[in-house]
Amino acid sequence: MTEIIIKLKNLNWLFIFLVSFLSFVGLVMIYSATFGEESKIFISHIYKVTFGFILMILVSLIDVEFWKKNAYLFYFIGIVLLLWVTFYGDLGKGARRWINFYGLNFQPSEIMKIFLIISLAKFFDEKKFQESRDYFFLILPILIVTIPFLLVLIQPDLGTAMLILFVSIVIFFVSGINWKFFALSGLVSIVVTPYLWGELKDYQKQRILTLFNPENDPLGSGYHIIQSQIAIGSGGTFGKGWTKGTQSHLDFLPEKHTDFIFSMLGEEFGFLGTLSVIGLICLITYITYHITSSFVHNNFNRIVGYGIITNFFFASLINMSMVIGILPIVGLPLPLVSYGGSSMLTYFIGFGIILSLDRGSNYL
Amino acid sequence: MIDLAIDSEVIMSREVNFEKKIKRRALILGLSKTFFTFLVFGKLFYLQILQKSKYGKLSDTNRIKLKIVYPERGIIFDLYDKPIASNRIDYQLSIFKDKKNLVYDYVKKLRGHINFSEMDLELIKNNFNEQDLSDFITIKRNLSWNELEFFEFMKNKFPFLIITKEKVRNYENDLIFSHVLGYVGFKKNVTKKKLSNLKVGIAGVEKKLDSKLLGKDGWIKFETDSKGAVKKELNKKYAVPGGNIKTNLISEIQNKASEEMRGIRGAVVMINCQNGGVNCLYSSPAFNNNEFSDGVSLKKWNKLLADEFNPLLNRCIAGLYSPGSTYKLVTALHAIENQKFNKNKKFLCSGHVSFGNRKFHCWKKEGHGYVNLHEAIEKSCDCYFYNLAKTVKIDDLAKFSNLFSYGQRTGIDIPNELKGIMPDRKWKIKNRNEKWQKGETLNTVIGQGFMLSTPLQITLMTARIATGKKIIPTIITNKKEFENLNIRNENLEFIKSSMFSVVNSSTGTAFNSKLPGNYKMAGKTGTSQVRRISLEEREDGVIKNEELNYKLRDHSIFTCFAPFDKPKYSLSVIAEHMGSGSKVAAPIAKRIMELALNKY
Repeated sequence: MTEIIIKLKNLNWLFIFLVSFLSFVGLVMIYSATFGEESKIFISHIYKVTFGFILMILVSLIDVEFWKKNAYLFYFIGIVLLLWVTFYGDLGKGARRWINFYGLNFQPSEIMKIFLIISLAKFFDEKKFQESRDYFFLILPILIVTIPFLLVLIQPDLGTAMLILFVSIVIFFVSGINWKFFALSGLVSIVVTPYLWGELKDYQKQRILTLFNPENDPLGSGYHIIQSQIAIGSGGTFGKGWTKGTQSHLDFLPEKHTDFIFSMLGEEFGFLGTLSVIGLICLITYITYHITSSFVHNNFNRIVGYGIITNFFFASLINMSMVIGILPIVGLPLPLVSYGGSSMLTYFIGFGIILSLDRGSNYL
Repeated sequence: MIDLAIDSEVIMSREVNFEKKIKRRALILGLSKTFFTFLVFGKLFYLQILQKSKYGKLSDTNRIKLKIVYPERGIIFDLYDKPIASNRIDYQLSIFKDKKNLVYDYVKKLRGHINFSEMDLELIKNNFNEQDLSDFITIKRNLSWNELEFFEFMKNKFPFLIITKEKVRNYENDLIFSHVLGYVGFKKNVTKKKLSNLKVGIAGVEKKLDSKLLGKDGWIKFETDSKGAVKKELNKKYAVPGGNIKTNLISEIQNKASEEMRGIRGAVVMINCQNGGVNCLYSSPAFNNNEFSDGVSLKKWNKLLADEFNPLLNRCIAGLYSPGSTYKLVTALHAIENQKFNKNKKFLCSGHVSFGNRKFHCWKKEGHGYVNLHEAIEKSCDCYFYNLAKTVKIDDLAKFSNLFSYGQRTGIDIPNELKGIMPDRKWKIKNRNEKWQKGETLNTVIGQGFMLSTPLQITLMTARIATGKKIIPTIITNKKEFENLNIRNENLEFIKSSMFSVVNSSTGTAFNSKLPGNYKMAGKTGTSQVRRISLEEREDGVIKNEELNYKLRDHSIFTCFAPFDKPKYSLSVIAEHMGSGSKVAAPIAKRIMELALNKY
């Protein structure tokens, strides 16, 4: 018992505060998004945040060794869940992504990202850098990445699949694999891309194409990007005020409580609001870097730290880039802010692991 | 051992290098994240700071919709403050301009429940091309209660349609005032695009006083959501209704005129002799001006244009008739006033007068015997006037006739009045390229030949004779003072007393239309010839009017004033192709005059 209290005392409470603050921003925005409508979503979001927070603290109490030891087991469970969802998952918006678990909808692709990071970390920890010159050993980690990537892609969930791929590449990168490998895989992907493009659904192609010229088709795919930009731009410096966003509340903005919540934030809280959220995300990322870079000779811890934070950081920034028109709209929530249980719980678990890393680190 | 040491050293140095490599790569990762952050930051700065006003406007355009509110037209009242043109609420179906491409789909779906006529479809087409400032386009006017009810029930299926109401022109009695009030409609060439759906006066009083009746437009700004549902009214500028107008028309008289003229083509004009106010201006057949104001289809319009009875013609001011014997009053007055003609002089009427190598016939084949001027008017003897005409110079008569508005516009305050023809030598040369023949004077003095006049001119002549003043007819305003005609009173009195005999003497042509009761009426009958009677026909016996083809029958004319001693109303009735004035026009005039005198 005292052990637990000591563990709790040693947690990085600044980090916890920042993470909680970001979820609080989410609560505020979800409240506004459902303002004047039924409060079911808001109440449900409160439960999820509370549950997520508790989950984060619980995970933070587990030592990192536990994850290292069971990494492949979790990976296996994750793959089974993904396979399950591929064949028996609930349909939503033309995609099989959900498992209905006693009335709770659960999206295994989210938690799979954590399992993947841990597995890759374990692999690169065990296979030391000496072998990194030999490319043959890379077949296994590439397989580890490719299986969940393809399973998620065929759901289809382009956003999550791309994120899985991207985070994996970053992990390959920070685990010190030779440059030549990246050059080679770059070449391979250039060859493979046209084939993959052919495999994309029409609406996904359309989304990517409209990015380059949203005004071209203002009532089709470009409509969302234009309306989102109008929402953010019209917010100006200080915003239109909480619950006062006209773009959001008059339904010009699509999916305002999920993918486009950042646009709503931009509209209601202006440049100051968007800047604060970016600041918060950067701060969380920076602290994680600080923790992670303190591990010397511990590849597992390093890769887990970089992997988790990269997942969080890029998910956030890609979501923002989507809604401001830098990247195509592929359907990614804003971590901790958007409504959506599986994604939020995954990030809380991730932060729990970072807290646990922090407990075991010896930086000052 | 040494080997091992070297090995471990190598390993150590490799370890260090690896750590350095990892640190470097973490740094690269961190830098790329920073770069990404600045990219997002930059775009946000661009959107929210630099382009704030552009996006602010776009967001307003998204949510704020403007609806032009057309003003309510002023109400037109009759002399006794009875509204004769007011407004009704018109329920209309409008679509958001942004969603106009949906309209035909909607029309397809709504058909069967809401009646879209060809006219409506035309309206939709026209409204689409117009760059009205409004964000709504009207696609259907005049929704019925059933249609409204249906739409209320179904409106969730048509998110971009809204029901709006507008006050539109409504004529209390659509057939009775149509010619005098005119109607409203869309302007043909709109300069102010903003108000392309504004209805303006097209004819009659509506046109003449359009600027006063029009009012000023307003607008409403709505906040709408993306589905087009109106959330709330943001602000509005009220439309200013047009000014009301009081006219000199008397509804009941106008009504009576329309009743009397049922089945008869022609005109009834009544003028107040004291102030020139036009109390009645009825042209038959009439058209439905409500139908016109709601928008009449091209088909219907063409049908009306092709109608042989020309219901669109306002006969009161633009129907041209020979004044016939009613004009004898002016001829007689001219003779005694300007030619020192002895009114007691008698001429023999044997049924015809020979002039040159032509015979001029009296309407009474067997003749009137010896008659003086008074009797000649009373009995409407043509021969007397033929004889009188021998001394008349046509130019003098024409000039004198101008005093009674013949050949001139009366100046009535509605548009499209015709001036008719008062022939003289100059006119003949100009229009027929021939010299004036003396024989033509003989025709002119009895109001036949080239001469053409409007019913309003005939009524005005009577009013001017009755008062000796240059009365000017007005529908909206009225004057108290008029110029004197400068005609000797005794001469006027003589003509008036002759007119008195026409109605009140047993030998007068309109004795059967004598007023019962205390009021005395004075008048003059007239028969406006539509055809020329040929010599052979004279010899064979003139064909009776009733036996003639309808279109060749004479017009029946009667003009009168009353009360005799203090003239108040001057009235003329023209009944086309109804034969002599005494038979049809005079009895109608009598009944209308009776009503006017007894009630007003």
